[in-house]
Amino acid sequence: MIEFTHVSKSYNNGAIKAVDDLTLTVRSGEIFGFLGPNGAGKTTTIKMIVGLLRPDAGTIAVDGLDVGRDSLRIKGTTTYVPDYPNVYERLTAIEYLNFIGDVYGVPRSERLDRIGKWLRVFELESALTNPIQSYSHGMKQKIVLIAALLPAPQVMVLDEPLVGLDPRAAHALKELMREHCEQGRTLFFSTHIMEVAEKLCDRVGIINKGRLVACGTMAELRGVGATQESLESIFLDLTEEAGK
Amino acid sequence: MRRLMALVRADVRSNFGWSVARHRLFVAKKDRWLVPVFAFAILSVLPALYGLVLFVRDIYVVLEPLGQQRALLTLAILIAQTFVLLFGLYYVMSAFYFSRDLEFLVPLPLRPFEIIASKFTVVLVNEYLTIAIIVLPVFIGYGVMARGGPAYWINALLVYLFLPVIPLAIAALLVVGLMRVVNISRRKDALILGGSILLLVMAMGLQFVLAGADEHVGAAAVTRFMTSPDSLLYMVGSRFPPSIWSSKAIAAGFSVDGLTNLALFSGISFGFFVALLILANAFFYRGLVGLGEVSGRKRILTRAELSQRVSSGRRPVLAIFAREWRIMNRTPVFLLNGTLVVLIVPVMLILMAKAGSHERFSVLQVMTSANPLFAVLSVAAFMVVCGSLNGTSSSTFSREGAQFWISRVIPVTPREQIAAKFMHSYLVALLGTLTASVVVVWLLRFPAGQLAAAAGLSLVAGVLLTVIGMMIDLARPLLDWTNPQKAIKQNLNVLFGMCADLGVLTALYFAIRAMVRARLSHGAILVLLYVVLCVLSAASYAALVRFAERRYREIET
Repeated sequence: MIEFTHVSKSYNNGAIKAVDDLTLTVRSGEIFGFLGPNGAGKTTTIKMIVGLLRPDAGTIAVDGLDVGRDSLRIKGTTTYVPDYPNVYERLTAIEYLNFIGDVYGVPRSERLDRIGKWLRVFELESALTNPIQSYSHGMKQKIVLIAALLPAPQVMVLDEPLVGLDPRAAHALKELMREHCEQGRTLFFSTHIMEVAEKLCDRVGIINKGRLVACGTMAELRGVGATQESLESIFLDLTEEAGK
Repeated sequence: MRRLMALVRADVRSNFGWSVARHRLFVAKKDRWLVPVFAFAILSVLPALYGLVLFVRDIYVVLEPLGQQRALLTLAILIAQTFVLLFGLYYVMSAFYFSRDLEFLVPLPLRPFEIIASKFTVVLVNEYLTIAIIVLPVFIGYGVMARGGPAYWINALLVYLFLPVIPLAIAALLVVGLMRVVNISRRKDALILGGSILLLVMAMGLQFVLAGADEHVGAAAVTRFMTSPDSLLYMVGSRFPPSIWSSKAIAAGFSVDGLTNLALFSGISFGFFVALLILANAFFYRGLVGLGEVSGRKRILTRAELSQRVSSGRRPVLAIFAREWRIMNRTPVFLLNGTLVVLIVPVMLILMAKAGSHERFSVLQVMTSANPLFAVLSVAAFMVVCGSLNGTSSSTFSREGAQFWISRVIPVTPREQIAAKFMHSYLVALLGTLTASVVVVWLLRFPAGQLAAAAGLSLVAGVLLTVIGMMIDLARPLLDWTNPQKAIKQNLNVLFGMCADLGVLTALYFAIRAMVRARLSHGAILVLLYVVLCVLSAASYAALVRFAERRYREIET
């Protein structure tokens, strides 16, 4: 579970409000999609969950633990996939995965099973011993995803995870996101792909200019029984309205 | 031409981060504390520059009656040009072949020579800053003493502007040639590394040839100094005539002699620049395109092979240490400026010693046997310089660059991360101490007991200096680099780290001098030094851990 309570974050000494008084609860076992135009505050919100940025005000709790105070315990059960796969290019993929296994304390037998499984799923088996430097963007994205899955985290936080993936890998990722949450775990991710959010997410939040302008299930967003609008139309309406 | 100028302008701005600095200082209003720090750093150089000007004035007074004063200009120019050649190799390789912006520049409708011209300008501007400290005191000191009029100062400025062009063009020609060969191979990193070392050795060799002039100063030469004006100038500059032309251009002002030499110097410089552009136009892309490609073999591992490669679980500290070690040693620029420096510098010293006269080492041997304390302390200082005066510790956070997010999100305490990084930096310092020990034993036949005492001191001091370097980098890590060179070679933290290390060594020197004056026994001085260094090392490490616990929360990525 992730709980935001009146969270705000600004840049340039308060001149730019990236996140403005965000209060939101993402429940355990839920896939939560976070949508918003470019610069709306999605990445800032995500970085605050994983401790890369500190909120100016408010609190964030993951599974009941405060991100500011209990960061180490939260880090042990949370993994993060950034919007750009910046990883150690001079390491081979297996060295990188071993590094992640070591720092998260993944036992050897589980490590072996999980690495084998995810390599097959993402079709990276033949490149495991190559330096990550030799990987394409999509392959780097896959290795970051596998690294995030390796510790079998309680909470996964993903920033635009589908960017750069081929259709087969994107499909596999969606399957495993569902699998992850069926085990009672939490998944919070940002995306620009409305169809994915519409089909995959249990709930969706739309952020614009730092403020959460809508949050709920697809049915709630449509207004129960009122229209059959697509998420794209709702998104465009809400973000345009707020922009006026 | 307009296109070229736009490219040069954008490249210079991006390289020196002027736009970013303006944004951070005036828009984001961050890093303002750096302004007084930089101002202080610049102001602290001024007394040293003034001291150099006075020194130049004194030498001028000695040389003027013999008519040899113009050799001062030649010597300064020659030293500056040697510097440009040596450092230029790295800068050129990094700017021409490893800047990330090349990925955007190559697809643009630009000709190779235009890209080279802009990159060359960036390196040139860097070199102006490097050589300023060498030539400005001489040009100013000479100008004041010779009462140079406007002609002197204008020509001095023009010579200063042209001064790095020839050595930089030579460095660039060597690098363009090397990379043309390197790009054929699959093992590019290894070749770049080997090639860089080879070029460095060649440049050092060239320096020996140039410096060789002063090795054979016989009676005839001394007589010539006394009787023939400028004979010293010709002797110093004989191996590299452009240094003679440039000296004459400055000293002779707007006279026919001055203008002819200025034309000759600027013309030849321009010629080298054009030659570089012509050659680069033909070879640059062949060396560049595909350089970043790293090919890997495709093979699916069997379950048994995978099982062998999956580690059985290292402790986080060891996992981070292994990461540091691998990344450092697999990135050629990091390897050259870290691990290899501690191996190459002592080896070069041996080579220099073997090439030079043996008398000075006999003198050293006599000095070390006459005063054991002096011997131990000098050797310890030498070991510290070999082990700790490299950029490993003061770039340890900066080297992570855009990957620093990983260190921020993994469930490993800053205390453990610091321990791993310290182990890595200290291991490099240990290597330096070891190679320095080999040099000392080889050249001075240093006794084992004294060697152990010196090595012990160097190892304890190494802890303190490693910690200081790490603290400096942690205070302001450079994480947004696009070119690994910037993380270590062009990282101000490395420079600040070296200055701080020299500061510590100077403080120790004065402390030792005070103890000697207080007539403490040699044994007592050594014990006191050990105790002080141990206490300082332990205290500074504890402070580093506390600082890291704060900074790991604060650094936003």
